[in-house]
Amino acid sequence: MTPRFVAIGTLALLAVTGCAHPAIVAATPAAAPPARAAEAQDSSPKADLRLVPAEAYVRTYLQLFGGLDPITAQQRARGGDGGALFDTWEDYLAALGFPDYRLDLPRATQTNGLMMAAFERLGDALCDRAIEHDLKGKTPVPVSERLIFAFDVPKGPVVDLEAFTPRFDVLHRTFLSYPARLAPTDRTRSFFELYTAAVARHAAKNAAKSRFTPAEDGWAVVCYGLVRHPEFHLY
Amino acid sequence: MSSDHRASSSASRRAFLKLVGGGAALAATPFWRTRSALAAEPALETEFFIFIHASGGWDVTLWADPRNEKRGIIDPATTDNTDTSHLHKWVDAPHDDDVKGFALVRPAGSNIVFGPGIGDLAEMYDRLCIINGLAMNTVSHPDGTAFSATGRHLSGGRVPGASVDTVLASELGPRQTFPLVSVQFPSSYTGDGLDRRAVPLRVGQIGSISKSLTRAGQYDTEADRDAVTALLAREATQVAATSSYTDVLQGMSVQYDGLRRMLAENLQDVFEANRLKKEHPELDYKARFAGGGAVNAAFAIEALKRNVVRCVSFAMGGFDTHAANYRFQAEVQQEFFEMIGTMVKQLDRTPHPTLVGKKLSDHTHILVVSDFCRTPQINMAGGRDHYPNNSALVISPRFKGNQTFGKSDPDQVLPARARKFQDGERAIAPPDLLATFVSAFGISPRAHFRDGEVVPELLAHA
Repeated sequence: MTPRFVAIGTLALLAVTGCAHPAIVAATPAAAPPARAAEAQDSSPKADLRLVPAEAYVRTYLQLFGGLDPITAQQRARGGDGGALFDTWEDYLAALGFPDYRLDLPRATQTNGLMMAAFERLGDALCDRAIEHDLKGKTPVPVSERLIFAFDVPKGPVVDLEAFTPRFDVLHRTFLSYPARLAPTDRTRSFFELYTAAVARHAAKNAAKSRFTPAEDGWAVVCYGLVRHPEFHLY
Repeated sequence: MSSDHRASSSASRRAFLKLVGGGAALAATPFWRTRSALAAEPALETEFFIFIHASGGWDVTLWADPRNEKRGIIDPATTDNTDTSHLHKWVDAPHDDDVKGFALVRPAGSNIVFGPGIGDLAEMYDRLCIINGLAMNTVSHPDGTAFSATGRHLSGGRVPGASVDTVLASELGPRQTFPLVSVQFPSSYTGDGLDRRAVPLRVGQIGSISKSLTRAGQYDTEADRDAVTALLAREATQVAATSSYTDVLQGMSVQYDGLRRMLAENLQDVFEANRLKKEHPELDYKARFAGGGAVNAAFAIEALKRNVVRCVSFAMGGFDTHAANYRFQAEVQQEFFEMIGTMVKQLDRTPHPTLVGKKLSDHTHILVVSDFCRTPQINMAGGRDHYPNNSALVISPRFKGNQTFGKSDPDQVLPARARKFQDGERAIAPPDLLATFVSAFGISPRAHFRDGEVVPELLAHA
């Protein structure tokens, strides 16, 4: 093959490839692949419920008590009336799961029977003192200044579920932070039954003496149930 | 736990007992099938347990593995380094000029040779099972403490396994009002094979439980509180039914039920120190070193007598004697062991709460451990430091009394080969002791302990 022939061939090839108009391919949207199966997104929690740290529990407790410091809350809870509602924080720290670095006791990260007993002891004190503050003052406390029972509390017992529901909802939002109607159980009805049973017990002729009226006892019992509720302690 | 699971667990336990009886290998039982099945076997709910931790690391040459001669690197306890004035069992023996050593303690009929630290507990030799030469492989307090109680070394500072008291509470005590009360004992609840009711009640002192059980009587009534707790137990169960993870909520549900039982039984006085002292004057609450521990011992007796606790675990300190306080190591031991002896005698006098004609001591099993032992040499400060050997004590009708198992070498007090294990000839170690302890009650060690091999020589009925 002569050099001349090679040069002519190269020029011809360049003319064909380099100088021709570029091919334009029109863009067309790709079709979606055909669905083979549909599956809902799994949005379930991927970890078990955990116990609220003891510090968070105490902070919440103090907040519910009116934003007091621990010593003042302790004094108010103990009171000067011989009610024996509360001892000292020191008496409950271990039961609440606080670590004790003096004794090398670790933090309790799971509930136990003793912790349940301490929750009851502290929860009862909170609710009983809140009833005294909110409902039994010498002068009526406006709803906006109440600690827990921030709703219209009738003098007598609430007799039907319809009247109970909005009042219970206030307490439910206070302790569990969401509307009672969204609760996964028939909670409003259960607590109404708890309320009516307590009212009946305290209104009975041979009822044990109490510092509260039957209606107040009913609301106190509802408060106990919410401040000790599993949803109050777990997240 | 589902009833199906309980049934399969129960069958598995029976299979396990057969295997042990026939000398077959433990490994034949799948560990996941041996989870607690106690509800189905009430016979085992008659057993009680006391676990005691001698906190700080005891000097075994003063009680279980006595050395009274200078040999190898061993500096024995002498009148030069030990205050002997209050020791009941210290009898001077020739040592070096004016300095006296001690005579070994061996009551008539005893196969066990003790040091003077054992005190009057030596007289109960026929009930004591001593394990010597326990290989600790650690001289760290937290690690030794965890290893003694769980058979596992710490992992990144965490306890990777359940402690022996938690295992027994889970297997034999979930239906008890208090499956496990732990006063400064290294109890740990780790792993998924445990009953949640057995989460240890860990407290710094017994009195702190009493305050949490006190209830005011001027506002609500017992019936009010009980109704609330019953409602909450139901709520926890119902919420669990709609949850992805149910374990914690179901655990709370059973704990609510447990609280109802606790309050119904008026248990405040079981947990009140002054009432315990009044109820059990036989214990020495004014003892120089064991006075505080005596309250725990009184609690153990009272709680078992009333059948409200399956396992009581507690610790007593004062053993970590690095300096001149070593002079009192023997006295600390004497008070400690004599407190245990008094407790056993009281259990002898106490009828079993549910078995007519039986003594409580016939069904109470005591395991006494420590972090590790102390160096054979006396250091420059006159004390002894940490040493990776150990001893343990078992007082249980299911263990052979009047025997010592395992040994340490004569010159260095380090663990010596005790027997042939599946992994070869070696010293006994805490996992072996714990495996043997739980196996004595028909519990497969493999269900809860990663390591350890049953040592039939320790058991009364292997």
